[in-house]
Amino acid sequence: MTHTINLNHITKIEGHASLYVEIKDNKVMKCRLSSIEGSRYFEGLLKGKHYFEAHEISSRICGVCSCAHTVAAVTAMENALNIKTTKQTKELKKLLTLGERIRSHAAHLYFLALPDYLGYESALAMLPKYRKEVKSALRLMKLGNKLVKVVGGRDLHPVSLTVGGFLKIPTKDQLIELANDINELQPDAFATAKLFGSLDIPDIENDCEYFSLHDEKEFPILEGNLISAGSTFKQSEYLDYFKEYHEPYSTANFVVREDKSYLVGAISRINNNYNKLSKDAKRAITTSKIKFPSKNPFANNFAQAVELVHCLDHSIEICNELYPRQENPIQPKLKASRGLAAIEVPRGILFHDYTLDKKGIITKANIITPTAQNLKNMEDNIKKFIPSILHLKNEEKINLEIEKLIRSYDPCFSCSTHFLKVKWDK
Amino acid sequence: MKSKLKVGIYGLTGCAGCQLSIIFNEDELLDLLSLIDLRAFPFIKGHNLDEEFDLVFMEGLVASNNDLELLKKIRAKTKILVALGACAHTGCIPAYRHWTLKEDYEHLLYRKDEIIKDQEPTPIDAHVKVDFVIPGCPPDKQEILNFIKDILNGKTPRPYNNPVCIECKRNYNDCLLIKGKLCMGPITAGNCNAVCINGGFECWGCRGPSGDANYTAYINLLREKGFSDKFIKTRMKLFAGLKLKTEEAFDDKDKLDILTCTFC
Repeated sequence: MTHTINLNHITKIEGHASLYVEIKDNKVMKCRLSSIEGSRYFEGLLKGKHYFEAHEISSRICGVCSCAHTVAAVTAMENALNIKTTKQTKELKKLLTLGERIRSHAAHLYFLALPDYLGYESALAMLPKYRKEVKSALRLMKLGNKLVKVVGGRDLHPVSLTVGGFLKIPTKDQLIELANDINELQPDAFATAKLFGSLDIPDIENDCEYFSLHDEKEFPILEGNLISAGSTFKQSEYLDYFKEYHEPYSTANFVVREDKSYLVGAISRINNNYNKLSKDAKRAITTSKIKFPSKNPFANNFAQAVELVHCLDHSIEICNELYPRQENPIQPKLKASRGLAAIEVPRGILFHDYTLDKKGIITKANIITPTAQNLKNMEDNIKKFIPSILHLKNEEKINLEIEKLIRSYDPCFSCSTHFLKVKWDK
Repeated sequence: MKSKLKVGIYGLTGCAGCQLSIIFNEDELLDLLSLIDLRAFPFIKGHNLDEEFDLVFMEGLVASNNDLELLKKIRAKTKILVALGACAHTGCIPAYRHWTLKEDYEHLLYRKDEIIKDQEPTPIDAHVKVDFVIPGCPPDKQEILNFIKDILNGKTPRPYNNPVCIECKRNYNDCLLIKGKLCMGPITAGNCNAVCINGGFECWGCRGPSGDANYTAYINLLREKGFSDKFIKTRMKLFAGLKLKTEEAFDDKDKLDILTCTFC
């Protein structure tokens, strides 16, 4: 008997996607996950623009990770034009990125992922019984937004970061206030980790490479080599290792390594950089049955919750140690050049790669987002996962389990270029 | 008791930033939700009822046949349709494709399934009647709250037409135009509290034209400051090209002008 699962417009994810699965005699014959966003051609729009315009334009790729695209574009340009930014600029960029990771993880965990596990259609429906948890989510999101706003000038599509430095620099008083705010919310972050570490997740193994950056000094944010359990290579070698290709059914790119899918995101970061986590974050891990390195894609939710704890700790450290002074962005000497930046953003590694002519005009732009890298792996795992849930019989239940798996990747389909209304044909 | 306002929040092609701008009203969100009947918000809700709406916030632009279908379907069921944010209002940066050479983006066109067909990138008012606009990329969070309050109180929200410069002066910012930056404050609608200039960055015009914008005078001022026409045009068209009637202000005709878009 053949039947199909057809999920048009999956809900509770960022962007629009659908899933089509064909099953014959309990075997998955076809499985395709597609972004159904309209194309926006950002890389084409960037061509012909000046080096100092790229971050403002590419920030619009995604509201959820607008800081990520801003920081990646600026850093790539700095690398192209040989600008050595100050330590202060680097620390502020990190703070901006950490703020975004905090709000993104909090929003994903509580608003998109948690309702599935507690049996609700949304976080809003959870309110009568779980008001405390929803309020905690809102507090954490507010904190992340405040960090982004103080450092970036606005909470979405930040404005203060430019090539060479910051146009406006926060005061020490502002950083002290932030440190106090973070301090107050550390219990919320820890409780989040405990909650997500206690959820029942399916026991599946995703045998693939888990890629992240690896920075000798700290848990990776802005720099480092690309590593997995078995390989290490430099950022500049990324095109030799990762290949992009298009599937006819999706507006997003797919990315593979040696023809196999791989995974990026919080789970990969922790798998590869456990030692660099803060003490609190390591302590949070001990509260759960889930251990790292983990090969269970469902454990990405817990990994994000652990990262929340870590990001608060790291942010407080930066706020305490930084004594901001006034400095102007460094002006580059223009030349024909190419610059790449790979940074860690909420959903994994983000690549921005620009080629400039001698006047600093962009002649080529290549942007590879985390979701584009994870798409193929999501497909592969859905394929593997489905036979283990067919015994549930009930279509709604099966669909929910598939959606849970997809949401655990925290996909962002705007970036790679909404989710699951399921249609069954029997 | 009067029944609660039936509200829907939808996204077409876009970045979800405008929908987040609603959610990021963290302190007010729960009170707000208690005052309305939120029937659809696929971004954060699993069950979405789309029978009929009193009020719908529509994020994003029309860039595919899917977008157009959803937009038309929702419009037919909605009393008050609000274009939320720059994509819905002006087409924002994705609509800059109208002034991009085909050879620069054509190769990025992927083969697609029957169900996804590219559409000229257009704001939603190119296809359906729009009752109100909340402009901006991203829209101002407080402005969204004020808008909903007005509707709940039976007031008609009014568009804000003054240029960004008014708020910018009020905030004692240095004028970035005087400092040699291409700041679009003088011709751009405000009510954003000049947030970009407060952060040290010049206005790129994301909220669309102000009510009394004098393009000829503004463009001549920029030329006097040494900006090339090409640079001025690109900057002016990035966020609100489809809503700025600037053609008459330029006298030379370079190839960007030849690519005049269908809605200008």
